[in-house]
Amino acid sequence: MVGLTLIHTRGLTTSAVALGKHNFRKFLTYGKRGTKIQKERMSKNPNLDPQVTREHDRGLRPVGLSDGKQFHIVPEMIPEIIVPDLAGFKLKPYVSYRVPDVVQSEFTPQDLFYAVYSEKIAQDFKNNKLDEDSNPIEPSEEELLTAEEAKNKVLCLGSDIYSSKR
Amino acid sequence: MPRLSNLVRCVSDMTKQSSNLPESYIKRAMEQVSWQTPKAKQYRQVVVKRKKYRFTTHRPWTEQFQSQNPPGVQRAKVFMEPLLDWTFFKGDRVEVLAGPDKGKQGLVNYIVQERNWVMVEGLNCQYQFLGKKKNYPGMMMKIENPLSVTEHVALLDPSDNKPTQAEWRYTEEGERVRVSVRTGRLIPIPTLAEETPDYKSKASYAEQSKDTISDDLTQITFQPTLKTFEMDIAEKMNIKDDRVPIKTYWY
Repeated sequence: MVGLTLIHTRGLTTSAVALGKHNFRKFLTYGKRGTKIQKERMSKNPNLDPQVTREHDRGLRPVGLSDGKQFHIVPEMIPEIIVPDLAGFKLKPYVSYRVPDVVQSEFTPQDLFYAVYSEKIAQDFKNNKLDEDSNPIEPSEEELLTAEEAKNKVLCLGSDIYSSKR
Repeated sequence: MPRLSNLVRCVSDMTKQSSNLPESYIKRAMEQVSWQTPKAKQYRQVVVKRKKYRFTTHRPWTEQFQSQNPPGVQRAKVFMEPLLDWTFFKGDRVEVLAGPDKGKQGLVNYIVQERNWVMVEGLNCQYQFLGKKKNYPGMMMKIENPLSVTEHVALLDPSDNKPTQAEWRYTEEGERVRVSVRTGRLIPIPTLAEETPDYKSKASYAEQSKDTISDDLTQITFQPTLKTFEMDIAEKMNIKDDRVPIKTYWY
């Protein structure tokens, strides 16, 4: 019988690292890229590679802004949870089975317009207080509001309605 | 309309309604997921889970059901006649048409719609001995055996108390009712049908300290104003902020 020998060989890759030789299909891997020093630097200043941090950041909102080199904490960006006083609040966590089905239609922007503006417009029309262009002669506070003013009123409380990061 | 074979596979409406449990809980308690791809954007979401269960008198979210349907064990298929219209409710007066209690009438106690089963109170029973030991014969229990809705049981016509076939029809007002096919008499739905583990009937439910009552719930306290949610809260909590942010531009 011919004797069999096991020959150990070592391979070289001249192309990109791994090149599909790793099975990433069945499990998620973390922290496989970079040397120890690189990882240490990254943990101290996450802004070195913002794309990587964004992938693994679990969606936390940043508490400040970075100017490329340093991260400055902005106190207004730190969230402050406001909880009103619930003393005497009648709505409870559960709903009794005896309650009838409450069906309410959607409250649309049109409904809001009717609630806020429609009464005054109707009154002005009856009392002839509208000029040739149907603008009110004695406008109320809401009617004097311009689009920019309204937007500023919303934004001065630090709202994120108009931001894309919502 | 769903495939009838799929209808037979799922947990039935009667089981869900009588349990008063959220459907998501029943699904979660029942499911046996053998493989699921990780939740990351590079993976196509694939779930490999069990579809075929052997439905029994034990409810699908119970431990006994789980032991009767252990993962990896494929049980023999039970061939079932899929019924689109289910006509039996808890508390119905029915007559047993087959078995040792043939001809006797009783009230429906328990329903297993997945198997087209109905248990009638005190009829078609078997005797079981629990905790049998050497000297002790065991405690005897009288347990009702299930009766097939299609063959062994029939609803009673209220006019003559005789077995009859029932159908779902609509009244002139548009109400869906059960009607005896033989005489056309209406078979009313019993009050026990509304019973769940939480209440005997919705009107007789005893309200607890954490339940919102209907007076508080149906009250409308919403006043439409030209404010966003944040502005409304700021006004109520006396939070004043006049700092307008710098205008930003897109180019």
